[in-house]
Amino acid sequence: MTGRLALNGFVALVAAFLVLPILAIVPAAFSAQSFIRLPPETWSLRWWGEFFNDASWRLTLLTSLKIAAFTTLISVLAGTAAALGIARSGPRSRALLTGLFLGPVVTPVIVLAVAMYSMARATGLVGTVTALVIAHTMLALPFVVLNVGVSLDGLDRRLLLAAAGLGAGSFHIFRTVTLPLIVPGVVGGAVFAFVTSFDEVVLSIFLAGPTVKTLPVRIWEEIRLEYTPVVAVAATLMLALALAAAGASRLLSRR
Amino acid sequence: MNPLAFRLGTVALLASGTLIVVLTFLMPLARLIGLSFSAPSGPFAAYAQLFSDDIYARVFVNTFGIATVVTAVALVIAFPLAFALTRLSRTWRGVVFACVLLPLWISVLVRTFSWMLLLERNGPINRFLVASGLTDQPLALLFNHSAVLIGMVHVLLPYAVLPIYAALVRIDPGLLRASEGLGASAVTTFLRVLFPLSLRGVATAATFTFLLALGFFITPALLGGASSLTLSMLIDGFVSDRLDWPLAAAASVVLLAAALAVVAITARFISIGAIAKVHP
Amino acid sequence: MSTVQFAGISKSFGTFRALDPTDLDIPQGEFLTLLGPSGSGKTTLLNICAGYLVPSAGRLVVGGRDVTALPPRLRNMGMVFQNYALFPHMTVAENVAYGLTVRRLAREEIARRVAEVLRMTRLDGYGDRAIRELSGGQQQRVALARAMVIQPDILLMDEPLGALDRQLRKEVQLEIRRLHAARPRTTIYVTHDQEEALVMSDRIAVMRAGRIVQIGSGTDLYERPVDTFVAGFLGESNLIAGTVSAIADGRATLVVPGLAQPLEGRAADGLSVGAPASALLRPETVRAHAGGLSARVAERVYLGELVAVRLSLANGHDLWSRRLISEWNGRDVVEVGWDASAISILPNVLV
Repeated sequence: MTGRLALNGFVALVAAFLVLPILAIVPAAFSAQSFIRLPPETWSLRWWGEFFNDASWRLTLLTSLKIAAFTTLISVLAGTAAALGIARSGPRSRALLTGLFLGPVVTPVIVLAVAMYSMARATGLVGTVTALVIAHTMLALPFVVLNVGVSLDGLDRRLLLAAAGLGAGSFHIFRTVTLPLIVPGVVGGAVFAFVTSFDEVVLSIFLAGPTVKTLPVRIWEEIRLEYTPVVAVAATLMLALALAAAGASRLLSRR
Repeated sequence: MNPLAFRLGTVALLASGTLIVVLTFLMPLARLIGLSFSAPSGPFAAYAQLFSDDIYARVFVNTFGIATVVTAVALVIAFPLAFALTRLSRTWRGVVFACVLLPLWISVLVRTFSWMLLLERNGPINRFLVASGLTDQPLALLFNHSAVLIGMVHVLLPYAVLPIYAALVRIDPGLLRASEGLGASAVTTFLRVLFPLSLRGVATAATFTFLLALGFFITPALLGGASSLTLSMLIDGFVSDRLDWPLAAAASVVLLAAALAVVAITARFISIGAIAKVHP
Repeated sequence: MSTVQFAGISKSFGTFRALDPTDLDIPQGEFLTLLGPSGSGKTTLLNICAGYLVPSAGRLVVGGRDVTALPPRLRNMGMVFQNYALFPHMTVAENVAYGLTVRRLAREEIARRVAEVLRMTRLDGYGDRAIRELSGGQQQRVALARAMVIQPDILLMDEPLGALDRQLRKEVQLEIRRLHAARPRTTIYVTHDQEEALVMSDRIAVMRAGRIVQIGSGTDLYERPVDTFVAGFLGESNLIAGTVSAIADGRATLVVPGLAQPLEGRAADGLSVGAPASALLRPETVRAHAGGLSARVAERVYLGELVAVRLSLANGHDLWSRRLISEWNGRDVVEVGWDASAISILPNVLV
């Protein structure tokens, strides 16, 4: 009995350890002073005003959103197609392809960053939206493939056989049976791709330029110097987006 | 549909994705490997420099050491947590699961930044320690190994929990009952039935956590600084500060080789499917 | 000593009553089967005996010891589960030895006992095999060996043969019977298969909706069922509904609408004049009888060793006859009858 209590206490402690430290940045964003103090002595929205009035901060936010949008579009299209292709392949091809698409996941991110940066310098793409979209797509693609793949695995093949037996052609079957059933996987993959791009730091640091910079890159630059609570505001915005995405994903898996 | 048309369709579907992977992943990596052999003083000069200098050796050791310790600590916390998760009621399980999954959606930068705020000299932890009289002066909690460890364990813990949970949940509860009925105590049942059957999940968790820890950049850079140099920080230095591309490439190749070695060694023992489960 | 006594054992899950207060005495060495449909409470009773369920009320006494509150691992009972629950990460020998290693026996002793029980279950030579290499029948025998090797006071079996095909099931039934005859150990066996119960048991307890309806030997239950449920559950039966018109000297008379003559047979307990009841006629007793009831041959079914004939009576009711050779080849309208000793009048069970 006490063992049970101890275990539950342990669980509560670990759960708190996982979640609470992250929340520390939220009160920091409401500090009235120009330095961060937790908890703030006086609360104010001053730095929120600073963030949204500052053109450079606004620009980084918009850049992040823009790049995330492009990344999501490309990775969802290519990733869904790839997942469908993998599902149609024989077991050995499937293993090979899965290994190929999962490559970016097991590769250390700094290696990817240096490789991409070197390539970008050679092609003159450093500091462009294109470079960032390419880099983020490379990172997001595996997750779309995985997500849609899981959805496809759960698809009962006999539904397709039944549809064929009832006279439907392959494209019709795809449109009316397969596609609707994998939509949760596709949308889940899309949400994940968006967040992966928006949250991405390391590759973005190397590929960013003076005019093209994502929000995380700006935060990274700021916190290595003297920083004001405006950084906490930016971090809180990122946190809010992550929470929204997690919530969306939860809702999706309910359906 | 005839087999050839089916094959062509499959190839067409795979085309765009494969192209992206090849152009954005394989090609840059291949180029990087080539770069590592392009030092002006000879093809292997960069590697020679890496392996001869003592400072770099210490960075390797530090990187692997941190990764090992972080993995060990994460597993020690993750296993009981995953085990407890299997025993919780539905509602509580959902709550704890949310706590485990939520951090995965948040950028590693934000997660690390929160630790910076907590551990800094004027941060809440130090202020509490001074105010309660436990210490006279604020402690230097940042920019040392401990800070890096705490930060990395915090970030990596969810990756360790999920594969172990997935493995535990698949164990037939009838086996535990059978063991009990044959006279085994709860401890014996755990040691002889539950734990052996969970080892695959533990191996997957260990591999994944170790791999990620090996390549970590943001967290050691922000929480450890110069006191705890990791290979990734070294590479960053080679590129950003020294502009020494062959050296940076060589160090990257070493890191990549280490990662591949880990995957190769553990591939037999882990389930790739479990990695798919890890991402929310 | 391994006698078992259930005294007033009942189990409820919230408002759902899985088991009514039940008394059951099992003498040492008896092979008792709990027979009934799903939801009858048989598995609940077994799990209470094993200790996996705590009864809501009542006492359980094994070998003179009150074990009601004792956890499963201290009860020294060998249980064979429906899906075998064999440890997939251990070999056959390791699985079988498990209960012995837990009891910290000497290694030579364990090896000896494992070898002996593997021989008994015809698994010698299989000790080093992995579980997944075995067929269903072999896995079942490993489960049995694992339960028996610890020399339990009581052997418990929860529908262990459900996953086997018919032929294999029959073989294993006889094997379990043989093992029991060689070393009689108090056994509680749960099944929904009445044929299985008849093959293996010393006594059968027929259960329905949480209570034991009748308990006795196979013969008792087959020849003298207490009601239409037991009659219908054990063996094939013809049940003809009617109203009791008279009861005397252990015999009763049943008036059946549509039949000219009332049916007369052995009276079961619980009958009352004027109440509805049914006549039980086992199909093997229905034969040609000059001057008997008029019937029309409606259907003939060839079953290999038997021929089943469906006879349609004047009131539209069907009577099945199952005999080695059909006496009604090619005839349409026949006269049927039976031995006076072969018919019982039983109370109807409440739905």
